[in-house]
Amino acid sequence: MTAAALVRRPGAFATAGVLRTVDHKDIGILYVLLGVAFLAIGGVEALLLRIQLASSGLRVLDPSTYDQLFTMHGITMIFLVAVPLLVGFANYVVPLQIGAPDVAFPRLNALSFWLTLFGGVLLYLSFVAGGAPDAGWFAYAPLTEPSHAVGSGMDWYVFGLAVSGAGTITGAINLAVTILLGRCPGMVMGRVPMFTWMVLITSFLILAAYPVLTSALVMLLVDRQLGGRFFDPAGGGNAVLWQHLFWSFGHPEVYIVVLPAFGMISEIVPVFSGKPLFGYRFVAGSGIAIGFLSFSVWAHHMFAVGLGDSENAFFSAASMLIAIPTGVKVFNWVATLWRGRIRLAMPMVFALGFIATFVIGGLTGVSLAVVPIDLYATDSYYVVGHLHYVLFGGTLMAVFAGLYYWFPKVTGRLLGHRLGLTHFWLTLAGLTLAFLPMHWLGLQGMPRRVWTYPPGLGWEWSNLVSTVGAFLIAAGAIVLALNVWRSVRGGEPAGDDPWDAYTLEWSTSSPPPAYNFESIPRVRGKRPLWDRAHPDRMDPE
Amino acid sequence: MATSLEPIVVLSLIVGALAALVFAGVLAALIVFTIRFRDPRPGSVPQIHGHRGLEVAWTAAPLALLATIFALSLVTLGQIGQGATFGSLEPPVHVTVVGHQWWFEFRYPGGAVTANEAHIPAGVPIELDLGSADVIHDLWIPELGAKSDIVPGQRNVLRLFTARPGTFSGACAEFCGLEHAWMRVLIVAEPRADFERWLRSQAAPASGQAGRGLEVVRSAVCSSCHVVRGQLAGTSIGPDLTHVGSRATLAGGVLANTDEGMRAWIADPQRYKPGALMPRVPLSAADLDAVVAYLRSLR
Repeated sequence: MTAAALVRRPGAFATAGVLRTVDHKDIGILYVLLGVAFLAIGGVEALLLRIQLASSGLRVLDPSTYDQLFTMHGITMIFLVAVPLLVGFANYVVPLQIGAPDVAFPRLNALSFWLTLFGGVLLYLSFVAGGAPDAGWFAYAPLTEPSHAVGSGMDWYVFGLAVSGAGTITGAINLAVTILLGRCPGMVMGRVPMFTWMVLITSFLILAAYPVLTSALVMLLVDRQLGGRFFDPAGGGNAVLWQHLFWSFGHPEVYIVVLPAFGMISEIVPVFSGKPLFGYRFVAGSGIAIGFLSFSVWAHHMFAVGLGDSENAFFSAASMLIAIPTGVKVFNWVATLWRGRIRLAMPMVFALGFIATFVIGGLTGVSLAVVPIDLYATDSYYVVGHLHYVLFGGTLMAVFAGLYYWFPKVTGRLLGHRLGLTHFWLTLAGLTLAFLPMHWLGLQGMPRRVWTYPPGLGWEWSNLVSTVGAFLIAAGAIVLALNVWRSVRGGEPAGDDPWDAYTLEWSTSSPPPAYNFESIPRVRGKRPLWDRAHPDRMDPE
Repeated sequence: MATSLEPIVVLSLIVGALAALVFAGVLAALIVFTIRFRDPRPGSVPQIHGHRGLEVAWTAAPLALLATIFALSLVTLGQIGQGATFGSLEPPVHVTVVGHQWWFEFRYPGGAVTANEAHIPAGVPIELDLGSADVIHDLWIPELGAKSDIVPGQRNVLRLFTARPGTFSGACAEFCGLEHAWMRVLIVAEPRADFERWLRSQAAPASGQAGRGLEVVRSAVCSSCHVVRGQLAGTSIGPDLTHVGSRATLAGGVLANTDEGMRAWIADPQRYKPGALMPRVPLSAADLDAVVAYLRSLR
């Protein structure tokens, strides 16, 4: 899709050095291309699932295929789309934002990318090696034990996630060290751009959460290949142990894929409001609070498991608490708009759309933290609606905002505004039609992860609307692809700084040279480009 | 209280109303500010960096709101959790539930065993003791409120209540493999006297019509998974068929329990529930008719 841009731009791609590049910008682009490719695959999987569920009693997919597809859709969108897209943006943008020539460990950075790609390839090899994993991305034991999962799908799951996870862990080490040690003179932590702040917090979350997943995967592998019984109750193991391990990784993972999105919104809303971010310290601090709290909320995925009322109450309270720093961010974004000079360029349009849709996902999240409500709604389509509002209405909307924002920096060309608006409205209409009715279906009693459902329960219409919405989202994605293709071939030149933005990536050329900056910049405040443009009204130090 | 769902509905309405208010407020601010302060002309506005008082306010207000919701949720939990009486003076009725891939087994004190259809007395608290024969399942009757996972190696209790008689449809809510979708269940609540009569009839041994059907059932592979108490000694891997004719549906809700439904199911289970553990048993048309007639007579 952006091949033309890649060929045209100087540097590694032009000399077909893509296999050996260690430039953070090239690797960032590779990550994003990886994420986009898997987004297309995971999107097609979602469309197939939605076709099968469009009405009751359809036989487009058999249950085995359906289970493989919903499992791979979840794994793909989390591990091979959300994480690579965000890590890709972080790779490209963070060194530029902190005035560094590259990441701390460029070779490790390349290794991280190739591990992630290799992990993804391993996962998808399962389809030709006798069947993909089919126990859900959450892979609850004992359904994954050799007694129940006789094929090799779960083994591909273990290896795919462990390998791509190793890439994610090394990538997080790299980003954290880069941000902690690679900042240019004058950029104390209190001046670091908010996207970089959120990437730093995310990196620590990855370092704490992913090893737990890797350990659990190894235990599962021992069960499957070496006759272990960690998670097999029939052999004295404990099925619930897997859930604890998985979700003590899995819930921080939600914040891993949403904190960088918060960071993007915290960059875009101020720039297009002509004001600094309202409450910088509180937005950064609330990110840290979310980071800590995210490790004490995992059992809200397990209220129906039978942990006991007091355990449930603890995790309920912690899960509600995490809504407070999340709310602080939303309120600060809205306050940034107040008395601003708002320009509705495409990054801003998507950022405003993000706030509206993410708040819905956040509020339904609070309802699921309430134990009695969760005991009704958990494992129903209500949760499917909720999580898609967070991950699609949240993460992916922010990624679109970030794409329209940073695309000119990467390619030197602006994305088209009219196609951008078409993309936006198709996406917003599509996600509303696709995911809002799911809440209603869940409250009507439709369980999740069903390959079909009985007639006569009144679920057909909502499901049909949801399917239509999924196709609108796909149409929006095609418009985006068209927009990117046209811009790359002959879009409006962007110049160094098309947005009157604030942070250092806009002070260098578009695309930046291999070494990023002519000379290492020096900053004296949070918004170096604002200070340069308004010497009479510089930010307070 | 009318059902064990009622306290959850009350709490949900409160939480839903508060969430709607917050959403309306944020959305209104978003739209009003965007329209009011939209200005594409170049130039700059006063640079506002923040406001400590506002930060404290929008930290403290949600904290108070969430603390209230949390307190209310504990009250609701007391109404539906351990020791809940649902306003009834009757001692609870216990039923043992066993989750299987992909059907529910219900075992009553006194020997009654049924599958995918349980009767309960209305106006009496029900305590379902949940166990699993294989993987994790979950029993959820939406009209009766909360659900509970059914975890192998663990005993969970699900407390349900309905004051009014009625038939309530439910399902397995935890993904449990290929036919998770067709692991549905019916709960029939009826007046106490009717329930006791039903329980006695279900506990009694089978009185199906003897003849060709019973002979075929005895000679074919049926007994390797099924039992008809009093008429077919077998194993309890599959549903107990002693009173299968009295149930409304077959195979976890995939077919109605009619002559046609029973014939279709036995003739080709995989056609209706692909992945189900019941194999196709080759029977001549005459034998099939006889088996269907026999099973349908097991009232």
